Order: sequence, then structure tokens, then C-alpha cells
Amino acid sequence: MTTTGTATREPRGEPTGSGFESLAEREKAVRELVARTCLTMDAYDFAGYLDLCHPDFRYTITTYSPELRKDITWLDHDFAGMETLLEVLPLHASDHFLRLVMSRHLGVYTVAYSENDTRAAVVSGLQVFNTARDGGVTELLAVAKYHDVVALEGGEAKLLVREVRLDTRMLGETGSLIPF
Amino acid sequence: MARTGTQWRTRPNLPLTHYVDPRVYTDRSIFEEEREKILEKTWAIVCHESEAPNAYDFRRCQHMSGKELLVVRGKDMKIRVFYNQCPHRGNVLAYEPSGNARRITCIFHLWSFDTKGNCVEITREKEGFQDRLSRKDVGLREVRSETDMGGFVWVNVDDDCGPLDAFLGDSTEFLRGELTAAPLEIMCYHKAIVPTNYKLWHDTNRDLYHEFLHRQNRLIAMGQPGYLDRRYHLHVHGHVTADPSVNSYENIEKGSGVERRMGWPGGESALHKLCNLFPTVTYNMRPPALRIDTMVPLGPEETIVEFRGLGVKGDSPEERRERLRDYNSFWGPFGRNLPEDFIAIVGQSIGLNHGRGSPYILHGREEETPHSEVCIRHYFAEWSRMMGRTAADPFGELPAVAAE
Ligand code: FES
Ligand SMILES: [Fe+2]
Repeated sequence: MTTTGTATREPRGEPTGSGFESLAEREKAVRELVARTCLTMDAYDFAGYLDLCHPDFRYTITTYSPELRKDITWLDHDFAGMETLLEVLPLHASDHFLRLVMSRHLGVYTVAYSENDTRAAVVSGLQVFNTARDGGVTELLAVAKYHDVVALEGGEAKLLVREVRLDTRMLGETGSLIPF
Repeated sequence: MARTGTQWRTRPNLPLTHYVDPRVYTDRSIFEEEREKILEKTWAIVCHESEAPNAYDFRRCQHMSGKELLVVRGKDMKIRVFYNQCPHRGNVLAYEPSGNARRITCIFHLWSFDTKGNCVEITREKEGFQDRLSRKDVGLREVRSETDMGGFVWVNVDDDCGPLDAFLGDSTEFLRGELTAAPLEIMCYHKAIVPTNYKLWHDTNRDLYHEFLHRQNRLIAMGQPGYLDRRYHLHVHGHVTADPSVNSYENIEKGSGVERRMGWPGGESALHKLCNLFPTVTYNMRPPALRIDTMVPLGPEETIVEFRGLGVKGDSPEERRERLRDYNSFWGPFGRNLPEDFIAIVGQSIGLNHGRGSPYILHGREEETPHSEVCIRHYFAEWSRMMGRTAADPFGELPAVAAE
């Protein structure tokens, strides 16, 4: 197998309808986008996170409550709401500014493209860990899935919809001011 | 001026009512005595009736006394509350948090009970018990319950307790409009297990001085005209209310989910009303949603805190979404207010260092404003009455002062 030249870029194929050079490039962009949303949030790089989001972004955190036998929505924001929230978070007292560092561990499970190639539905497994600033012990904070829709336009991938579907409903000792 | 160890441990020159010995929050023997003298003798909310809306619905709950309970709605639509415990060998009856069942059947040996607590089947009854014991001898243990003050299910595990309304007195009167204009309905529920004493959470709920902690409260309440002109009102059994605060959402960030002004039937949309009921219940009415806090103390330094968000039965989906959005932006597990309270009380517990840290906890502010700490002193007056101990000197170590 050659390791240099264009032969490694298969399947090259035709440019995609959403403006990517190839299916492989498109797949890479989708997976990287989802990963970058975690990396930017882990770094409290809120501006960087918002750069990854589509102007029609919709973000929700939901779960099923066996106590009430129904779905609950714990956070629900459009782009402007998310922008405002992320702007004011540092003005609040939060365990994640004082005591803990949050890290998101992600595994992309499935990626499914719409027929016209402009949307990708991505399901990922998510674990969120807290690491204490003092001493560095790590604890699992939450297990969840991301149900994302990624918009593919002009060779660019942007996060259009994110539903954080929580399995964990008891979120540490204090809850979490910072969204997942 | 910084102080030496001796100075640090010297008690403040304040009456004994104005501070609390830290061991009141950390000592195991005091906690066990509280269970016996307070938590097993007092009314507390265990859930809302809309958590079991249909005939044969059940809801598994915990009472603040630690008792496992099963709240059941019968065919007659009446709510009854039982120990969630099989009279045979003590297995829990319901494992799941809620459900619907015509018969409550223990998974272990399949004894069954109806929604009135009667035992309706003992498997191989005659063969095993002959005539020595029958179904009528092994009904469920029913506890005193009343569904009141907005449709909440109140329980007192003491059969000899007085009625709920005598316990509440006039403390919930100022919420009567909000609690009776329309039936309430549960919107959301979550809980937290916190390494802290339950009284620290309740102190914080009472204490409006701590609004300095919350950016949102500073924005919507603290700068409003008349904020400091309000007073606490002391009621029977250690309950306390404060004059409502008038909230303005003008200063809150647009788009943050809390800028809207939806109201609540029977109340004014700008008024925020707090009612703290000894020993563990808080009504927190901030239109468009009602928050109810309850607690199950697990030990002197471990507490389950439960949060319920209530809306109005019959809300349109849009109204419900807005109530929920507003509620959660403050008080959900991802809210901007609630996590701050938790940080502070967990921090207090770290500072208490199992009773060996701070030498006393001050509740000494006296002023005719919502920043007076009379709200907490009133709690400990009731605590002292029921416990037969002085909160500032729970082990009677200050004979000279106590004799004064
Ligand atoms: S313990 Fe319930 S039937 Fe035996
Ligand atoms: Fe608070």
C-alpha cells in the first residue's frame, strides 16, 4: 500500500453536494466538529464553541424522569440564548470555576446523512468527568448521549441542533452551571 | 484584627439565641435525637398529588424521618400513604419510583395488597398458617396523611400527631391565593445528595441576607425600591415568612430564559413569596413557577434535597414550556441560582470540619429588614423547644452562662 501521494485520499470521488471535496472530507468535518464542541467547552472557550454553532442553533438538555413518568427539559436555548448564558456564566459562583475541572469524553456512534447531503444526524456517547483542582481526583459526573444535527453548507460543518439526552439525573453535589 | 486561638474560640458577646454550636450540625447523637423528637413527630411534604394522578397510580417516596413510603391513589381517587414495606419479611413493595398497579404485589413471596392497604392474598395461606394468622392480620402500615396547601401530600409518621392545619397555623395564609386559584401540577423533579446537614440548607432558604451570593437575585430583587423595607413574620412551630419581594426583570440579560413576565393565577407576577416551614419544607413562589424544597436527612452530614417545579394544571404546551424554562434557568440542575447555594453550604460543611472547625455559627443580625437573622433564630427556638437543648450549648457545657 502506498503511503504518499493522492492514493491515500480514497475514496476521493466527486465533490459532495454540500461543498466538501470528498465524502471522506465531509465525514472528517462532521466528526471533528462534534469533538471540537467538547474541546472548546472543556477549555471554557465559549467564543470558540459558539463559532462552531449555526445561527439557527437549538440546544436542549433533556432526560426521562421515572419519578414523573415523563420527559423533562432542563435547559432550552437558541443561539442568542446560549450566547447570553455563556457570556454571564463567569459572573456566577460555580464549582467548575472554583474547585473542579470538567472534561467531556466522547465517542461518535453513528453518522447519517440526509438525502440532499446538507444535514448529518450524529449520535454520540458522552461521559462528563470532574477533576478536583486540589489533588486531582477524578469522578464521573454524568453519562449522556448527544443527538446532534450538523448543517453542511459551502464545505463547512456547523452544529445546528444538540440535544443532550441525560442518563444521569443526579449531577454531583451542586448541579452544573456549565452546560454539557 | 486577626485573633489568636483562644480569641477565636471565645464565644461572642451575644445572647445564646444568636449563635449555634457547630455540633448541632455535625454530631451523630444529636442527629439521632432529632429523628426521634422532630423528624418522626412533624408534618412534611412527600410529593404532589399530580405525581399519582390516576386511579391505581403509586409513587415511592421517602419521608424526612427516613421512612420508605408508598403513596397510592385508590379507585375512589383518594390518596393513602403506607410504609413501602411488606409485612411478611420486610421487603420493599415498590422498587420503581412510580407506576400503576391494581394490586401491590411483593416480588418475594407474592403477597398482595389492595390500594386501601388490605392484604388480599397470602400465597398458600392455609397450608402455611392454618388458622393461626390470616390476611386481616397483615395489612399495610398506613400513616397519617393530608393532601393540602396546593395539593401536596403531607405525612406525619406519628399516629398521635395533631392535624396539619394546626401545625401550619397562619404561616401559609399569604400564599392562599396562589395555592387555591387553580389546581397545581408537577412539571419537573430532581434531587441531590449533599454532604451537609439538612439545617444548613434550610437556614439558607430562610436567610435573605444570602441573596448577595446570587447574581440573578442581585439583578432582579436587591436593587428594587422597597427591598429593604420588608420584614420577617414569625409563625407557630418555627415557621417563617417574609414580605414578598418585588422583582423586576428589566436588568436580566435578554435571551437568558428569565426575562419574561408570565404570571400565576391568584398572584401578582412580580411578587416573589417565600414560606419556610420547620423543619424541612420551603414554598418558593416566583411566578411563573412554584418551587418546593423538601429534604430527607440521611445522617448529620448527608442530606437528600428534593426539588419540585410546579405549574398550573391545564397549561397550554406553550405556557408550560415557558414556566419550565423560567424555573430551570434559576432552579434546575443546570440553573444559575441553585448550584450557587449548594457551593455555599458544601463550603460551610467543609469549614465545620465535622464539628471541629468553626467554634460557632453566628445568627446575630438584628435589623428591621430581610437581612435580619431572626428567621434562623426562630427556627432554633422551635428546635430547642422540641429537643430540650440550647442550640448554642447543646451539651450543657456552659453552666455559668446557662444559669444566668
Ligand atoms: S417479604 Fe413480601 S411476600 Fe415475603
Ligand atoms: Fe439561594
